[in-house]
Amino acid sequence: MSDPVSTLEQFDVDGALRETAAAAFPLTRGELFRLSATAAAAGALGYFGASVEEADAAAAKTENDIAILRFDQTLEYLQAGLYTEAERLGALKPATLGWARIVGAHERAHLRAIENLLGDKALKNPGFDYGGVTSDESAFLKTAVAFEDLTAALLKWQAPRLDSRAIVAAAVSLHSVETRHAAWIRHLVGLEPATTAFDKPASQHKMAQLISSTHFLVARPKVAAKTKPRYTG
Amino acid sequence: MTVRKRVVGVGLLGAGALVLLGLGLLRHPGGSKTHPAQPQAFLSQVGRLPPPQRPAFEVGQPKLLSRHELIAWFAPVRREVDARKAPRETAAGVASLTLRTAEATTNIVLVLRQRREPGGLWVQIRLPVLPNNLTGWVPRRALGGYHVVHTHLVVDLERLNASLLNDGRKVFSAQIGIGKPDSPTPTGEFYVRDRVSGFGNPFYGPIAFGTSARSAVLTDWPAGGFVGLHGTNEPNLIPGRISHGCIRMRNQDIVRLSHLMPVGTPISIH
Repeated sequence: MSDPVSTLEQFDVDGALRETAAAAFPLTRGELFRLSATAAAAGALGYFGASVEEADAAAAKTENDIAILRFDQTLEYLQAGLYTEAERLGALKPATLGWARIVGAHERAHLRAIENLLGDKALKNPGFDYGGVTSDESAFLKTAVAFEDLTAALLKWQAPRLDSRAIVAAAVSLHSVETRHAAWIRHLVGLEPATTAFDKPASQHKMAQLISSTHFLVARPKVAAKTKPRYTG
Repeated sequence: MTVRKRVVGVGLLGAGALVLLGLGLLRHPGGSKTHPAQPQAFLSQVGRLPPPQRPAFEVGQPKLLSRHELIAWFAPVRREVDARKAPRETAAGVASLTLRTAEATTNIVLVLRQRREPGGLWVQIRLPVLPNNLTGWVPRRALGGYHVVHTHLVVDLERLNASLLNDGRKVFSAQIGIGKPDSPTPTGEFYVRDRVSGFGNPFYGPIAFGTSARSAVLTDWPAGGFVGLHGTNEPNLIPGRISHGCIRMRNQDIVRLSHLMPVGTPISIH
């Protein structure tokens, strides 16, 4: 098995994946090794091998808040991309496509807002491969329920960890919308929209595990090179 | 109601309230915070709350996707695979797909449509092979993530002109040089495969795009005779029928185009 860290630079040409990994998934060294092993096998998730120090270097005054926002930005990239692709392909049932159309627009708006707030600390789009999920009704619904449920729980986990009250105030406006998304998609699937009186938070680590399990996060293709062209001329 | 009756009524209400208050104090002699909220006290609390924290951001109005967007899809080849004539493993193979191009970029293909078959999801793709304009079917799992472009390059061989459309609107136009009569630029539907720069060869200008089109004549050309779209060191020959099949532009035009045209853009040459 090749070392995922040593091959990462060749694989992740513009560094977007490493940047995302370092900033949005600041895992412990042990977690890095465990996830790197999975990444090497998959050949596409080597981004977990990026150094935690990169995140520290990139952080500014409210390092903690920036790390949380970058995590959310990556998650918004993933969700916005998933729902937008599903809508454009148009292979799902009308009710599901209707949900994807509205919720995709919401997630794109969330993404723009977080990007604006992060400014030059914002991450590049790391690139995603949703495989056949965006064309498969059952797979799409399961994925959407998992992501929406967990996003609502994640924001609950993040809110008390934010330093800035202003960001908490903003995050609350996202949180209620994410819970509506979760209830709506659960209703579409035929699940109970609200199963408990109180919700438990879910950690960033849990979300990172879900993302890892989907294999959605991949390097963008290398489409540019500095080399002599061999076209006919 | 007479004034007397009203006074008596108010008096009784006041007495009742005092009795209730007394009972409450007996149950909670310390006057603890578990008192039932008094309307006046409750309302007076509102004014004492701190001013609201202004959110760090406000989410803007969500924008629905336009129903009129004109997009094309491309995807990287994720595993070496034989493209087939029909969406099934037993169908005849039409071409083998590699992971890399001759320029060591990722081999990408234009996605034309999908079809769900009993064996899984299949994708019809445009192939970068001879004969030109060939399409084939591959399993979805052989490709990586889908990417979208809104652009389309239209090459008019008659008028010696190339135009770039974005969602159907013309955003660029330039005169071009095309293949000589004995090495013509192929016609049909193609796509931009990659982009190279920094090669230091004035013949190709500062930037060159690789396309999926191939010369049907120069088949023994290195790397298979792929047709490029590039600058030139002979701008005075443009417009004209001057090349080995490639589409040449003046350098300022290819630089301008490079800011507008992403890799994956479909190309129509007619």
